[in-house]
Amino acid sequence: MVATYLPLLIMILVAVALALTLFLLAVVLGNKNMTPEKAMPYESGQSTGDARHIRLSLTFFLTAIVFTVFDIEAVFLFAWAAMFRELGWFGLMEMVAFMLILGVTLVYAFRKGAFEWEK
Amino acid sequence: MSIAAISFFFVCGAVAIASALITVTQNNPIRAAFSLLAHIIALAGLFIGLQGHFLAVIQLIIYAGVVVVLFIFTIMYIGPVPKPESAGRPSFAKLFSIAGMVVVTGAVTYAALGYSPALKGLNTCPEAVAECGQFGGVEAFSAALFRGGVVPFELISILLTVAVVGAIMVARGRLIYREKPRRKKQELSIENNR
Amino acid sequence: MDMILLVSTLIKIAFILVLILTFNVVLLWVERRLAAMIQDRIGPVRAGIPIFGYNLALKGLVQPVADAIKSLWKEDFVPPNADKFLHAMAPLVAVIPVIVAFAVIPFGSSLYLNHAFEVLPPEPTGRVIPLQVATMNFGILFVFAMGGTGVVGSAIAGYSSNNKFSLVGGLRAAGQMVSYEVALGLSLVGCFMLYNTLLIEDMVRWQIENVWGIFLQPIAFILFLTGSTAEMKRVPFDVPEAEAEIVGGFVLEYSGMKFAIFKMGEYFELVLASAVIVVLFLGGHHLPGLTDRGIDFLGFAQPLWHGAVVAIHLGVFLVKLVLVLWLQFMIRWTIPRFRYDQIMKLSWRYMLPLALLNIFVTGVVIMAL
Repeated sequence: MVATYLPLLIMILVAVALALTLFLLAVVLGNKNMTPEKAMPYESGQSTGDARHIRLSLTFFLTAIVFTVFDIEAVFLFAWAAMFRELGWFGLMEMVAFMLILGVTLVYAFRKGAFEWEK
Repeated sequence: MSIAAISFFFVCGAVAIASALITVTQNNPIRAAFSLLAHIIALAGLFIGLQGHFLAVIQLIIYAGVVVVLFIFTIMYIGPVPKPESAGRPSFAKLFSIAGMVVVTGAVTYAALGYSPALKGLNTCPEAVAECGQFGGVEAFSAALFRGGVVPFELISILLTVAVVGAIMVARGRLIYREKPRRKKQELSIENNR
Repeated sequence: MDMILLVSTLIKIAFILVLILTFNVVLLWVERRLAAMIQDRIGPVRAGIPIFGYNLALKGLVQPVADAIKSLWKEDFVPPNADKFLHAMAPLVAVIPVIVAFAVIPFGSSLYLNHAFEVLPPEPTGRVIPLQVATMNFGILFVFAMGGTGVVGSAIAGYSSNNKFSLVGGLRAAGQMVSYEVALGLSLVGCFMLYNTLLIEDMVRWQIENVWGIFLQPIAFILFLTGSTAEMKRVPFDVPEAEAEIVGGFVLEYSGMKFAIFKMGEYFELVLASAVIVVLFLGGHHLPGLTDRGIDFLGFAQPLWHGAVVAIHLGVFLVKLVLVLWLQFMIRWTIPRFRYDQIMKLSWRYMLPLALLNIFVTGVVIMAL
């Protein structure tokens, strides 16, 4: 346990320390000279108001949902691939059925235009 | 358990509880999603402490990499949320949820301290035993799932299909998308000659 | 506490940090020089160290160093209307997981401490030090776990900057990265089935005993190369930062070192993806003709000290890494940018079904043989 995860813990601590050092150096050393013009959001010189409120394409949402489903499939495939030879033909058939059902889902998503961007 | 394992457990547990509290009390949705990320990472640490190696990495892949991303996507659609004005006195719902929280915390503490008969007979698995060391690994997981749980596993694919169908229904309605018919080569060549 | 474990871990971590930070500087230089050569320009030659009235520019190698120093003293700009906490957290979330993911990459063969200065006996004894920071049960999945968290960094950078370009860039980045994450994960499943493990060190061992993965899984290699390029948001998949339309995307409101942290994260990802390609497809540290006990090539045998063999293995790994990086650079500078809908279509319509097909065919072939 300790021999496995202690090195990882040290690695995480070192990575955090490195990133934080660079970050804090930037905060400490970087000069600050804010003017009202500079403070405006970068645009063509006009105020953009509250920029976080814009209308976004629903396709992003559908992409995220389909991604969720297929990433879960991927995790099952990872676990299955690690034991592939031991599980044998039975495991292969099991996984083919699983992939077929999700393949149908993917075809359905295409037919419904889940990944279409143009109007 | 060694001192290192115990202190690891307490650090992860403290981070998990603190970030969970921030998640539910934060008004800004994207900050709440961010502290949910911290909570999930701390939970993965707790799983590692319980020998659930594969579960820990699943936690990171699915929850940290997928669910939090899904939340952030959705929050981006909502846009900034106006600050809710603070209510004069706590509402009934708030009081009710606090009472529920106290009851659940009490019950869990009671069980964890060993007073509950349900947990009395629980077997623990020392790490030194070979099967116990392998208990939470990938091989053990997939042997259990793909040999013992075939039907539930196949049903998962149906469940995932239903999720996609539902999302597409909400977003796209009853439309069927048809690709524009491809123009024949002849027409294209006429166009090019113009 | 085990002192050897602690010291060897610290040395390995220091090696990784030095390696990726040096690579960062050198890669920046190589990329600029290569781009200049491909586009028939001169590239950076001005920045240099003045010595005796002579500007020592080292063909532009001083330029990345000058950039690093400059970015430290640049104005640390935080947009006043931004969510300051998230704006500060985003670069850290983007870079820390990438560095941590290097923990599972084996950089060379295992070192037997007792036999460092002699030819390795058939049954080595004593302390073994794998040239890999952490050997964990889930192996390569750790890289995916860390890579997935990187999406959050780009997304909250875009959201918290209070800028429309940033928001669009962040959303594009997140959408693209999640699309390719699936294809990326599934492309490797064929390899896992072939090696029948998730442990990277076992995958390398399998390739040394049999044949390099690229010859048995060429489709997986191409899918992984494409997918990782998209995951890193490099040209031709760089619509999230498309300078010409959304002026940098989610990094638009970042300046100085914070911007540099994002860019550093991208170079770390590049090195990480190339390292994964080397260990999964190109046999890791394996050099044909070099065994654990010395050179054994076409009847020419020369026993070598174990320590020397390990050092050569490390060098072989680095050479392979550099070659893969060179390939990535050539792709980066010869292919023009794709459109966003093309990128999405490529992932879902072509790469994902192809990856599933690859898994199916691999499974049937392995079972039938």
